[in-house]
Amino acid sequence: MNELVDKIALCIERGKVNLASPYPKDMKGQEGADEFAKQALAAGVGPDAILGACNDGMQRIGAKFGRGEAFVPELLMAAKAMNAVMAHLKPFFQAGTVKPKGKFVLGTVAGDLHDIGKNLVSMVVAGNGWEVLDLGVDVKPAKFVDTVRANPGCVVGLSALLTTTMGNMAATVKELKAQFPNTVVIVGGAPLSAEAAAQMGADGYAHDPQAAAAFLGKFAAAA
Amino acid sequence: MLRRQLLDLASQGHRVPIGADLILHQHADAEATLRDGARLGAVVVETAARFRTPLAFPIMDLRLEKAELLRFFGVPAGEVEKFHFAAAPTAEQRHEYARRAREVEPSERVAANLGALRHVAQQPGLLPVGMCIGPFSLTTKLMADPITPVCMAGAGIGAEDDAGVALLEACLELSLACVLAQVERALDAGARAVFVAEPAANQVYFSPLQLAGGSDIFERCVMAPNRRIAELLASRDADLLFHCCGEITDSMLEAFGSLRPSLLSLGCSRRLWEDAVRVPKDTVLYGNLPSKLFYSDETMPLSRVTEQSADLAARMAACGHPFILGTECDTLHVPEYAATIRAKVDCLLARA
Repeated sequence: MNELVDKIALCIERGKVNLASPYPKDMKGQEGADEFAKQALAAGVGPDAILGACNDGMQRIGAKFGRGEAFVPELLMAAKAMNAVMAHLKPFFQAGTVKPKGKFVLGTVAGDLHDIGKNLVSMVVAGNGWEVLDLGVDVKPAKFVDTVRANPGCVVGLSALLTTTMGNMAATVKELKAQFPNTVVIVGGAPLSAEAAAQMGADGYAHDPQAAAAFLGKFAAAA
Repeated sequence: MLRRQLLDLASQGHRVPIGADLILHQHADAEATLRDGARLGAVVVETAARFRTPLAFPIMDLRLEKAELLRFFGVPAGEVEKFHFAAAPTAEQRHEYARRAREVEPSERVAANLGALRHVAQQPGLLPVGMCIGPFSLTTKLMADPITPVCMAGAGIGAEDDAGVALLEACLELSLACVLAQVERALDAGARAVFVAEPAANQVYFSPLQLAGGSDIFERCVMAPNRRIAELLASRDADLLFHCCGEITDSMLEAFGSLRPSLLSLGCSRRLWEDAVRVPKDTVLYGNLPSKLFYSDETMPLSRVTEQSADLAARMAACGHPFILGTECDTLHVPEYAATIRAKVDCLLARA
């Protein structure tokens, strides 16, 4: 059983989604995260252990990313493999057998249609055991507010690529903080910095998906 | 050719931002101006005068070519920005587009840009410059997830084995046809150089691991199409000004240099004085103050713009490579931060 868990973690680290996926080339024709997750559940491996394998795989690729030994494409492929596993765990989350670390409401701010950074954050954070509510792109402040109201205790992540939408991001943070002063807001995107994030009133700044996951990890540990 | 003039400007310590958008928005009717060639041309002329430069850099709006291409495929204007191809257009559709791309009536915005170029071309002392997105960056806008197929293709997986790779190749073919058509239009309108902006040609899309392992994916997706553009420009005795503000590797930089651009504009992640050895001696390096941060007085106070301008100018003078001090990208008007952005552009222009 441990062997299956190890295989799941390895497939996630290497970005091997399933048998049909030709990536990575040296694993072409081999079973992937999807098949091993299915086999693990059939063999009686607990969903928590499988979720742990997701965390292990993502942490390994994340550590490589942090050391400059892996890059966004490798991170993305790993996240796709992890998503294949998470699809098998969804019923356990819905039944409450497995509990997420928390809820993370995520979106690209109004006026901005860029989603690559947001999607990466979404996948990496989900792989770290969070339930992600992805609101998409061009999200108006009111939609963030409504979602936070419906999900008390969630953490909010705001993404943007365009300098021209920094005003919208600041306005969204302001609106969220006005209505929910205790809600934690983290921001990220090319035109941002820790100083700019603080000036907007955000609680955190993440320069990459791993930093977002690390921030949430600290938040969960402190909660 | 502008190369000689650019080298002369560099030797004179020339400074200029890419900043027509800032001047455009000093006018109350900015949106209407974008649709009026003569008025837009007047803005470009005003921009050059304001920044005391003969380089008539236009507005950098990298959304126009996608709209132009998708119009051919019948995508409604209101849906263009969020549109992605779900499946690869057929070979017949691609050939038809390549054949007819120049015949299609330009959109109002593109027509205005061409009108602006014609207007600028009539002004003595100004060097009319066209602007368009690069083929790979346009490709990324046509696909919901461009990174995965690039990664797959970079791992040696072919279009026959993966639908995503097939879509990537089809979109790249369409994008090249679109950009070639736009460059030709710009040249016909009087451009003497074209700024080709490839911000997506970076290590977010291309894994340095794959490239170091010998993958030719960067060559196939970025360099080969841009070589076609460089050849077109050379055949018309016009100059390539190449822009990429993304995070790139040294090998990507060397590849850009192989296009022999007259000017190479890079993002603020690069140390231009170290990059100089990787770039042809007659390619002017341009940039690369972090203009995307100009809106923030916390991250980029005025004093830091002064310091970085002086430091960069001094380092580039010391390394001896031709250099024009400027911005890492188009400096955009942001209403909430307009005054501080303008102050920092003024600061960039002011020599010590």
